[in-house]
Amino acid sequence: MKYKVCIIGGGIIGTAIAYFLGKLGENSVAIFEKRYLSSGATGRCGGGIRQQWSTKSNVRLAMRSVEFFKKFKEEVGMDIEYRQGGYLLLSYSEEEARQFEKNVEMQREEGLDVEILSPRMVSKRYPYINTDGLILATFCPTDGHANPHKATFGYANAAKKMGIDIYTHTEVNGIEVKNGKICGIHTSKGYFECDIVVNAAGAWSKEVGMMAGVQLPTESYRHQIFVTEPLEYFFPFMAISFSGNFYMRQALHGQFIMGQGDKDEKPGINENVTFRFEKEMARKMTKIFPFLENVRILRHWSGEYNMSPDAQPILGKSDKIDNFYYAIGFSGHGFMLAPAVGEAIAELIVFGKTIHSDISYLNTERFKKGIVQEKNVV
Amino acid sequence: MVKKVQALVIGAGPAGLCGSIAIAENGVEVLVVDEGLVPGGQLPKQTHKFFGHEGFFASVRGFEIGEKLYNDAVNLGVKFLMKTTVSGIYEDVIVLYDRENERIYEINADYVLIATGASERFISFKKNYLPGVYGAGAVQTLMNQYRVLPGNDFLIVGAGNIGLIVAYQLLQAGANVKAIVEASNKVGGYLVHANKVKRMGVPILLRHTIVEAIGEERVRGAVISEVDDSFNPIKGTEKELAVDTICLAVGLQPSIELAAQAGAEIKYIPELGGYVPIRDENMKTTVDNVYIAGDLASIEEASTAMIEGYIAGYNIAQKITGLDLSENISKMKKELEEFRRGPFSGKVRKGLKKFGVEFPEGGFRTEPQKDEGPAGKLRVKIECPQNIPCNPCETSCPTGAIDVGGNINGLPYVDYDKCIGCGVCVMKCPGLAIFLVQELSDYSIVGIPYEFELPEKGEKVLLLDRNGEIVGEGEIEKIVRNSKGKTHIVYLKVPKGLEDNVRHFVRHEEKEEEIVCRCEEITRSEIEKAIEEGYTDFEELRRYLRISMGPCGGRVCRLQTLSIISLKTGIPISELESGRFRPPSIPIPFKAILKGDEKDEI
Repeated sequence: MKYKVCIIGGGIIGTAIAYFLGKLGENSVAIFEKRYLSSGATGRCGGGIRQQWSTKSNVRLAMRSVEFFKKFKEEVGMDIEYRQGGYLLLSYSEEEARQFEKNVEMQREEGLDVEILSPRMVSKRYPYINTDGLILATFCPTDGHANPHKATFGYANAAKKMGIDIYTHTEVNGIEVKNGKICGIHTSKGYFECDIVVNAAGAWSKEVGMMAGVQLPTESYRHQIFVTEPLEYFFPFMAISFSGNFYMRQALHGQFIMGQGDKDEKPGINENVTFRFEKEMARKMTKIFPFLENVRILRHWSGEYNMSPDAQPILGKSDKIDNFYYAIGFSGHGFMLAPAVGEAIAELIVFGKTIHSDISYLNTERFKKGIVQEKNVV
Repeated sequence: MVKKVQALVIGAGPAGLCGSIAIAENGVEVLVVDEGLVPGGQLPKQTHKFFGHEGFFASVRGFEIGEKLYNDAVNLGVKFLMKTTVSGIYEDVIVLYDRENERIYEINADYVLIATGASERFISFKKNYLPGVYGAGAVQTLMNQYRVLPGNDFLIVGAGNIGLIVAYQLLQAGANVKAIVEASNKVGGYLVHANKVKRMGVPILLRHTIVEAIGEERVRGAVISEVDDSFNPIKGTEKELAVDTICLAVGLQPSIELAAQAGAEIKYIPELGGYVPIRDENMKTTVDNVYIAGDLASIEEASTAMIEGYIAGYNIAQKITGLDLSENISKMKKELEEFRRGPFSGKVRKGLKKFGVEFPEGGFRTEPQKDEGPAGKLRVKIECPQNIPCNPCETSCPTGAIDVGGNINGLPYVDYDKCIGCGVCVMKCPGLAIFLVQELSDYSIVGIPYEFELPEKGEKVLLLDRNGEIVGEGEIEKIVRNSKGKTHIVYLKVPKGLEDNVRHFVRHEEKEEEIVCRCEEITRSEIEKAIEEGYTDFEELRRYLRISMGPCGGRVCRLQTLSIISLKTGIPISELESGRFRPPSIPIPFKAILKGDEKDEI
């Protein structure tokens, strides 16, 4: 069996790339997913779609993605529960607040509509938020959230309709490299020849790189998240804080989804959960959102952030193997960037260059020049 | 603050209670956590007498066993936390949620015995969301613990032991049982249990199932239908029954959530009831300090649950204290071996063999007694054809006239030279399967075990045969009351020749949409449609349809969904991924977690 493009990973990134390849007329494409679609980070993430980033590259990719999310239902054919309810970024440190002001300046230059709110304004607008300790907040009304599972299924279904094959429960266990070029992949369902391999393996990106003999600078870290019982829908925006270390949103179904980062996590794949996380979250979140006190936690799970050294994705062609492409290291924000990334990688494969988004500064080369850290990450 | 205990037992049912006793007997500190209002698990709802032998409470009623075991445990210093759910076994800590005080406790335990029992399976049929559709466990709780009868006219779905026992208890409580439907071609429960309801006129309809509940606001009836060999309803065979309550007794599934969260490897073994933790003959799971016992290990009997509890408990005690308890352990293993030799343990034996735990079978008498005894003498007739592990007839007989052949599974024989017709065995037999007969010159006497409101001596009654058909008229000759065991003996005068037929009597004056996931209201057709669209993994369906994302965490719908996937895709359930079992196992309010911070005393 031969495909022009073999994509490793059936998450939002892999399915988006396949979808856009199909749109560009390339359907000799297959996705290889070792479990089921959205089984990795995609199906475990909070589903936020944010444009308020501290680096230009992330802002641009996110803004481009929003264009696609807006038309998702019409173009891709799946209702992904997309809502532009905004993102409220809450800052609890002076230093961060000053950085926010700079970010907003940059974001406005990029054409993003962002407000700066004082604690009093936050209180007035959202009386159910306790603003103790808050220094400043920013709000972007066109940020939003969607259902990441449905988005993955939507891309996958549309790709299948265009003739693209999806192999689930099919593990890639080797990449055949000859004379510095990939010629095929070994999987639990046999060997597939191909011209191009895309590493969209999320948490397993490093392992997939190793299969082709490439050392990738990504590491996976567990992030935990839980969901409450549903309440009446009243909280349309994502509340997030980097200095406060939390994010929370209400899904359309009514349940609150929330999480935080943990600096003590060790790299590696770990799908277990700790009660310490629930305790820390309960203390913090009931303080800021007192209405949560009587709400019940329903389910608690975890997934992996595939971190890159600067918390920005690694996109584009490998510098070692010519026909090996990367869409990895999303550092916890792959879902929201997926449409723009899918489009860019597909363009790069089909036309040899990107048309709508410049991703040249997101290749692996950048780490040789020194790291500019994305700071807006929980 | 995290509290540390040497041994934590989760579940205060027969397995957990016996496990805690075995551990505490050896001086180890034990904490038992249970979510029920009262200890005993399912025992407090069980008003019938249990099978087995005296060492494990044969002929004692379930609720009395629970009380006895609880008192034994308390006297040994076992600490109990009731109304408390283990909401999760996390990587770092075990969390208890005290529902009454709405707070959590954090526990670390050197050893954990998980005895979480089982939950009921459900089946879907049209309009199964109507009020009036109950699980058998709920009917038992309402009726036997709270003395509330949830309806008057019942349809029971499932002729396993639970369906049969509930039917009998409903009759005792004064309800009508219109029918028991059973999709397979034989009664799954003990025949002696089936006989108890059949002789009272309850039809057991084999190869039948329910297809629809009738009613707008609540159940007003049920449509049943015959099924073919693949259990699909046969069109044109539908019948309507006027009932106000539908009681589902379609089996149990092991409650393995916590064991899975603890990291125990689980496996789909249908013979054991579905997904079960893999464990060795000492009841140890694949996690070194996690043991299991009872229904979550394999759907079985209270007696085997108790023995497994002891085995697990002694093993834990041995590990903690360093004492040599091998004698206690091997004694209990022998007991278990005896209990599992019979035909009703065939499935369990086969299931356990799949992970290398083997139990011998056979070695007991299977030939029923042919000798019916000398006509004219008042003597017992034992109608116990099935090799149930049970021997109170033998041990209760004051003259030593009954023996089961040296093995508890053997069929009982009566030595008619020794039988004096005293009726002690009739009162003791948990299956109510022993009768007294005597042929006299003008009429015959039949003594039957009786657990209903007693008639008057001399009263004329209608005589019923084994199928509940009226076969004639008779008279109450004598009543022997049993104030302790509550199984009385009613002696009937019956026409000559009917002594082998009459087994009961009646007094003259007596005579839409199928929802699979109930939390999220997801129907069978939605699931089938999604599977057709290509969502063939449980986790994909969960993400796509929200199946098992509600408060029950999938207890009700996980297995049903997997069986729908299996049916539609042809992949056996054992080869499908079960999906993750995530904490908390019940919804926990934020404020309970906050309260857990306050103080650490339990």
